[in-house]
Amino acid sequence: MLINADSMKPIYVQISEWLENEILNETIQADEKVYSQYQLAEMFNVNPATAGKGINLLADDNVLYKKRGLGMFVAADAREIILRKRKNSKLNTLVNELAREAVQLQVEVDELVTMIKDTHQKIKEEQA
Amino acid sequence: MNVVVCNNLTKQYGRSKVIHSMSFQLAENKITGLIGRNGAGKTTLLKIIAGYLHHSSGDVQVFSENPFNNLKVSANTIFIDNEMSFSQGLTLKELLETAGSFYQNWDHDLALRLFDYFSLDPKQFHGNLSKGMQSTFNSIIGLAARCPLTIMDEPTSGMDSGTRKDFYRALLKEYIAHPRTIILSSHLLDEVEDLLEDVLLIKSGEKCLHLSIDSLRDYAIGVRGKTEKVQEWIDRIETIHLQDIGANLSYAVVKNDRSIKELEDARQLGLEITSVSAEDICSYLTSKTKGGIDHVFNRG
Repeated sequence: MLINADSMKPIYVQISEWLENEILNETIQADEKVYSQYQLAEMFNVNPATAGKGINLLADDNVLYKKRGLGMFVAADAREIILRKRKNSKLNTLVNELAREAVQLQVEVDELVTMIKDTHQKIKEEQA
Repeated sequence: MNVVVCNNLTKQYGRSKVIHSMSFQLAENKITGLIGRNGAGKTTLLKIIAGYLHHSSGDVQVFSENPFNNLKVSANTIFIDNEMSFSQGLTLKELLETAGSFYQNWDHDLALRLFDYFSLDPKQFHGNLSKGMQSTFNSIIGLAARCPLTIMDEPTSGMDSGTRKDFYRALLKEYIAHPRTIILSSHLLDEVEDLLEDVLLIKSGEKCLHLSIDSLRDYAIGVRGKTEKVQEWIDRIETIHLQDIGANLSYAVVKNDRSIKELEDARQLGLEITSVSAEDICSYLTSKTKGGIDHVFNRG
């Protein structure tokens, strides 16, 4: 984004990313119940409403699902969703930077694409 | 349900208006931070809500009733500040026991545990305590009373930093275990912001902002760069704050509602865009001049 990356992330985003990490490293498994907003509020020393916002972010992305009256649970494909999401956001940021720099240096799109293709090829060969 | 409702609330001391037609509602079981500079009217507003002071005009309702001289409001409200007067003849332990008899939900066990934790001496008298210890004692009463409306006016003044942190943690744990409506006034937003759900910012007796803490954190953005570039960019944009930060460098704060194009323009001008902390936003919004303290020294 245009806002500086070094600026502090909102706490509810930090909480949702922390939960994502717990899911990625399988501390919390698929179909297991996640911490309630009150538990998270105590753990992070924040207002429960803020913690609730962190949980809702993950529910919006279908990483978590709600069981009525029981709380929030980890979706079966939570890990895939998180990995896909992180891949997308990371690549998008990098591509954005790259395109911006290219425009500033007056590199035309064909030239840029050729550069990417060449590099991609080279890395693949190195790894092969 | 709203616990506190104010409509055009006004308070005058003689001819000077301390609270100017303020209107807001505080919802049940939220923690709201009342933030403002010295003399903004925080304490007066809180005392009106607690029923200690008459208002001059407008309307104030607490638990749907006028709080002044009201038994229902008194029984369900506790007001903690550092001017609380207690009987001189009672020890701290006796004060705790007496306080307990006034409040229906009083948790005496909690009061004693906090009392121990903060190393208060049961045989001591309130008047002999240091300022920080008095604040600690008063806050224990505030927490243990478990009042549906708990008002704390600068509860941590005089406390050392470890005690402040402990107190805020205790407040959060109590709130989670026994939700209640809490109004917390402070001029140190940094210290309390994580605890809050909403912020009510007042300036010179008027409501300035009333929003969630998360919206407040997103409320503004800062732009930093060469003075002439900053000037060019903020032309026609209303600034919240503008400051010279050194040789030919400026820092401006504007509302966070610029279009993608405008942000792109800023980037093209070589300006750096930053987020602005909630504390800074409040201090800029309540500042007398847009240049802040630097303005005073700017005689040129």
